[in-house]
Amino acid sequence: MKNVVLASFIITLQLLSCSAQTDGAFTPLFNGKNLSNWTLGEEGGFEVIKGELFTSSFGKGDDLFTEKWYCNYVLRLEYMLSDVGNSGILIRCDPQSPWETGVEVQLLAPWTPWRDDLHCTGSIYGHVAVTKRPDETTGIWHKMEIRCDRNTIRVSVDDIVTTLANIDTVKTMGDKLLCGAIGLQVNHANTEGQYAKFRNIYIRDLDGEPEYVSVGFYEKETMLRSQAYDAAITLGAKMVEPLTIMMSGYSPVAKTGSRQVLFDIVARATAPQSEETYKNDVAIALKNSANSTSSEITRNYLKWLSGMIDYSPSN
Amino acid sequence: MNRRRFIRNTAIGIMGLPLLSNSYGNIAPSDKIRVAHIGLGNMGRNHLNWFSGFSDVETVALCDVDKVRLGEKYKLLQEIHPNVRADTYTDFRHILDRKDIDVITCATPDHWHALIAMMAFQSGKDVYGEKPLSYSVEEGQAMKKALEYNDSVFQLGTQIHAGDNYHRVAEIIQSGLLGKIHTVRLWKTGGSPGLGFPPTEIPPDTLDWELWLGPAPYEEYTPVRCHGSFRYFFDYSGGVFGDFWCHIADIVYMSLQPQGLYSIDTRGKRPDDGIADTPRWIEADFKFKDLDLYWTTTPPPVPGAEKMHIGAHFEGTDGSLTCDYNTKVIHMGNEILDDIAELPETLPRSPGHQRNFLDAVKSRVQPESNLAYVREMTLPMHLALISFRLKRKLQWNSLTEQFEGDSAANYLLSRVYRNPWSLPE
Repeated sequence: MKNVVLASFIITLQLLSCSAQTDGAFTPLFNGKNLSNWTLGEEGGFEVIKGELFTSSFGKGDDLFTEKWYCNYVLRLEYMLSDVGNSGILIRCDPQSPWETGVEVQLLAPWTPWRDDLHCTGSIYGHVAVTKRPDETTGIWHKMEIRCDRNTIRVSVDDIVTTLANIDTVKTMGDKLLCGAIGLQVNHANTEGQYAKFRNIYIRDLDGEPEYVSVGFYEKETMLRSQAYDAAITLGAKMVEPLTIMMSGYSPVAKTGSRQVLFDIVARATAPQSEETYKNDVAIALKNSANSTSSEITRNYLKWLSGMIDYSPSN
Repeated sequence: MNRRRFIRNTAIGIMGLPLLSNSYGNIAPSDKIRVAHIGLGNMGRNHLNWFSGFSDVETVALCDVDKVRLGEKYKLLQEIHPNVRADTYTDFRHILDRKDIDVITCATPDHWHALIAMMAFQSGKDVYGEKPLSYSVEEGQAMKKALEYNDSVFQLGTQIHAGDNYHRVAEIIQSGLLGKIHTVRLWKTGGSPGLGFPPTEIPPDTLDWELWLGPAPYEEYTPVRCHGSFRYFFDYSGGVFGDFWCHIADIVYMSLQPQGLYSIDTRGKRPDDGIADTPRWIEADFKFKDLDLYWTTTPPPVPGAEKMHIGAHFEGTDGSLTCDYNTKVIHMGNEILDDIAELPETLPRSPGHQRNFLDAVKSRVQPESNLAYVREMTLPMHLALISFRLKRKLQWNSLTEQFEGDSAANYLLSRVYRNPWSLPE
């Protein structure tokens, strides 16, 4: 009996830890207290009630956007809709013109009016239909995960994949941004008293992970490569080792990108207004990688870059 | 008496006589200027054609690290001058070792320009070089010292300089008829191609890749790094911008000699579709003591510019002038003119860019595109490329020739050569 209790306790702990998303790679986007990290529009439309993000506007209210822009990420959240609640998650959008620049992952009570697979919960509204219709029961919490991974977007509801979009094959998404804010659409049901609410909003920023960013250096599309380059420059020292490996590798695409981005990282490190830690960490990483690489071309290049950081005129 | 001494004595003998183009008639072989050509691509072919056509020139030797090119150009020389016998080399040092050669012309890739010229000065030879003057700022400084120390003659191959149009533009600007020139806009359309992502290869047997790279960092061979497109790599050159700067900035320096450069800012982008890394496009803002100078990859919004792929637009307090290599348009009030007839010719005209150089070799008076002049003229181009690469605005001290408050930018003013090469002492 004791063991059963202990086992169930452990399972409960695991479930808790899972639902509480303490996975180190995920960070909370919503602190349960206020709208820090978010920009509330002039007309309002969202409020924090009992640790939940609540939107019940009727006829007015603005969408809510993250202050920060994200390119590649896994967004996890829980949502609940009232009988005919109508909301959505805007992804990769410019808040100045979210519908033109980004897309919406729909959140919608299904029955009034009935919506097809291209406009139901989990669909990329008007662009990509769900392949598996999710549980649309209102009044209960559902889990949603949105994974924006370069040119693919994957939506899951309650741990089941509903939508998989390769944006290269979706003509209507051809001119959408690849980076942008994340938005929550103000509830805009046709009836008063309806709502949508959110909790446990977490994000894993894939562009903060060197392994993920490195893969982008091999992309065929220039847009995606340049996105990876930007992410790598932001990461700085953490990218020096993976870039060194790529520069000594066989892919001309990755060799070129890694060589150029190593330069760009040093350029940023040596900027007069650069942060001291960024510069110091890059300097150390360059020396370590120069010592560890087996390619003489790469080693000489890294030494030359190190020289740029260390240089002070002799006269 | 060495060869140089001999030429100088001859020059003294004819000093005071006008040195006119093609006025040499029959010249004894011993009085001829003995020329060797290093670097035999398209520009090297031009050098060969131009210089071998002068009756006071004897083409003595040809050199290229690529045996195929060397053979082609040797054949070309035999076709145009069947009686000329020239020696061929793949290593330019053999040419510098020869005491019977007076002049070398150099049309190698940019990263070799300074080193070959300085080694030539040291070996007592005069140099007709190609643009840009050098790969780095430090090389330009070293070249100037080496030239002065060795008492050498140097002409940069900015042949547009010799044309009547540039001389006339300089006269008009210097006349003051357009008032004080406060702004100049330069442009050159087009930028570096990306060149794709070719794999590396084993260099052909006919090419000495090690020697082609010379002082540049070692890199594995791929054909686009080499002939015809090397200039799209920062390892060797400065792209379309670095290439054409010398031609069109020339008219600014010829007319105004701008002084006191103190600020350089750039915007631009690398190609994203290949291994090349020089600017796909670049805009540069230069602030001089009395002049704002701008460079763009697209024509500026001034009348007539949109049709010109390269050009310069001078804005003065009393009028403006837009020109390219061969044309000019003057705007004064409501008048549009193609010249100012009443303005007299004040600048002596060039007898031709190569003739001007050969005359200088004899007279020991530096030619029009001499090293001191072209070094000043090419300097802002190097600084802009450093700003482009570092992606930041830079402050320049034109007296010390150092950036202010930016040691990384100063680091990029020079490049340590790969062994066994070094800057000559």
